[in-house]
Amino acid sequence: MTAPLLRIENLAVSYGAVPAVNGVSLEINAGELRVILGANGAGKTTIIKTIMGLLAPKSGGIVFEGQHNLLALKTHKIHELGIAWVPEGRQLWNTLSVLDNLRLGGWCVEDKTLVEKRINEMFERFPRLGERRDQVSGSLSGGEQQMVAIARALVSGPKLILMDEPSLGLAPLVVRDVFTLAREINQMGIAVLMVEQNARQALKVASWAYLLETGHIVESGPAQEVAGKDSVREVFLGGSY
Amino acid sequence: MDLFLQQVANGLIIGSTYAVVALGFALAFTVLRVINFAHPEVFMVGMFAGLVAGALYPAGGFLFAILMGALAAGVVGFLIERTVIKPLRGRDVLSTLIGTLGVAIMLQNGMAIIAGPDPVAYPTLLPRKMVDIGPVVLTMRQLTNFGVCILLLGFVSFYVRATKLGRATRAIAERPDVAAAFGINVGLVCTVTIVIASMMGGVAAVSVGTLYGSAWAFVGLLYGLKAFTCMLVAGNRYFEGVMVVGLGIGIIEALVTGYISSSLKDAVAFFVLIGVLYFRPNGLFGSYSQ
Repeated sequence: MTAPLLRIENLAVSYGAVPAVNGVSLEINAGELRVILGANGAGKTTIIKTIMGLLAPKSGGIVFEGQHNLLALKTHKIHELGIAWVPEGRQLWNTLSVLDNLRLGGWCVEDKTLVEKRINEMFERFPRLGERRDQVSGSLSGGEQQMVAIARALVSGPKLILMDEPSLGLAPLVVRDVFTLAREINQMGIAVLMVEQNARQALKVASWAYLLETGHIVESGPAQEVAGKDSVREVFLGGSY
Repeated sequence: MDLFLQQVANGLIIGSTYAVVALGFALAFTVLRVINFAHPEVFMVGMFAGLVAGALYPAGGFLFAILMGALAAGVVGFLIERTVIKPLRGRDVLSTLIGTLGVAIMLQNGMAIIAGPDPVAYPTLLPRKMVDIGPVVLTMRQLTNFGVCILLLGFVSFYVRATKLGRATRAIAERPDVAAAFGINVGLVCTVTIVIASMMGGVAAVSVGTLYGSAWAFVGLLYGLKAFTCMLVAGNRYFEGVMVVGLGIGIIEALVTGYISSSLKDAVAFFVLIGVLYFRPNGLFGSYSQ
C-alpha cells in the first residue's frame, strides 16, 4: 500500500501560550482533493503554515511522500519537494507585474523554457491574465488576483497545492469559478488540500472532508458523509446541503 | 541663472553620493528589515582600501582603486551580515540598530587608531582638469564621481527590475514568507543584498575620496545620518525613490550654499526632510507597510 502523499500526525501548534492546533492528524493521497472546514480561528491557516514551515509546532509530525520530514526542512526546501501554496488573501507581490509573479512561481524549476511554457499555458487558460501580463498585480481585481495566485502555484509544477480559503472576499460568480478551477487542477493529477469556510462549494468538489473546531478535528470522512453531519449542516450549510 | 545651474550641478554631484549610501541603507532595511548603521563605515573602509590600493599600486589607477575599494567593502559587509545582522534578524529593529551601531563605532575608532583621527591625503587617481558644460564649470573628478554614482544607481535599478535575483529581492522585501514558500532562499538573497550594497558603497567611497582628495575615519558620520534620513523620506516601496530624494537633497544643499550660506545647508536640508515626513509619514513614494 502506498504511503499518503502528505501525513500529519498529532500536530500541536501554539502562538505563545495560546494553543491554535491540538492533536490534529490528517492525510491526503496523491491525486485527491481534500478539504478542511472550519470557522474563523479554528486553526485552518495554522495547519497550512505549519506544513509550509512558516510555523514551528510544539509537537507532532508532518511527512511528505512517506519519506520527507517537513519539520526538519526550511520553507524554501519544502517547496522544492513539490508543495505549492495559494495563501489566504492571495498575497501576491503587488509591486511586481503579473508576469514577474508567475516567473517567481517557477523559481525552483531549473528548466527555464519549461517555466516559460507553463506561463504561456497559464495565459491561455486565463486569457484575462495574458492581457494584463505586464500590469502591476496589485492593481488587479480580487478575482484576477486569485487567478494569478493559483497560476503562480501551478507554474512550479507541484504534486500538492495547499489552498487557503481561495474564495475569501470574492464575488459569488468568481467563487464558483475558483472551485471549478480547483476541481480542474485536481483532475490534472495534482493533489489539493483546501481549507475553507465556504463548506457548500468545498464539499461539492472534495472527495474527503475534515471539520476543524478550535484546533481539533471533530469530523472526518467522505465529503458527502461529512456534509450530512448535523454539526456541519447546522453551522455551515444553513440546515441543508 | 548661471549660479543656479552651477549649484544644481554641484548639488547633483553631492546628492549622487547621498543617493548611493542611502540606497545601501534602503536595501538592508527593505529586504532584511534591519537598520544597518554600520553601512556608512563600510563606505569608509572602502575609501581607505582605495587609498591603500592607489598608494601601493599607482599604475593601477582609478579603476584598480575602485576594484579594491569594492572588494574590501564587500568583505567587511559580508562579515557584518554573518556575525551581527543574521543572528539578530527577526528580532525587533532596535536590536540590529544597536548591534550595527556598535560595529560602526568599532570601525570608526579602529580606523582612527590606524590612520589617525584627521583626514589623510588621497592618491591622485584622476587629473585635476576643468570641464566646461555650457555655463557650468566642473572638474573631471566631479564628473567622474557623478558618473560613477549614476552608474551604480542605474545598476541597482536594472538589478531589481530586470534580473531574477533582483525580482527575488523585491519579492522578499514585500512578502518574505511567500518568497520562501516559493523556494527562494531568503537568507542567501539577504546576504547577497548586503554584499551588493556594501560593494556599491566601496566604489562610491573611492570616487568621493578621489574627488575631495582625502580619506577620513569619520567620513561615515558625514554621509550616514543624511543618507539614512533620505531613505526614510523616500519610503521603502521604490528604490528609485531613494535615488530621487538623495539627488534632491544634494541640490537643496548646493542651492542654500550658493544663495544663503554654507553653514545653513545642513539645517535647511534636515528641515525639508522632516517637513516631508510630517506630511508623508510613510515616505514620499510610499512604503510596503501602507
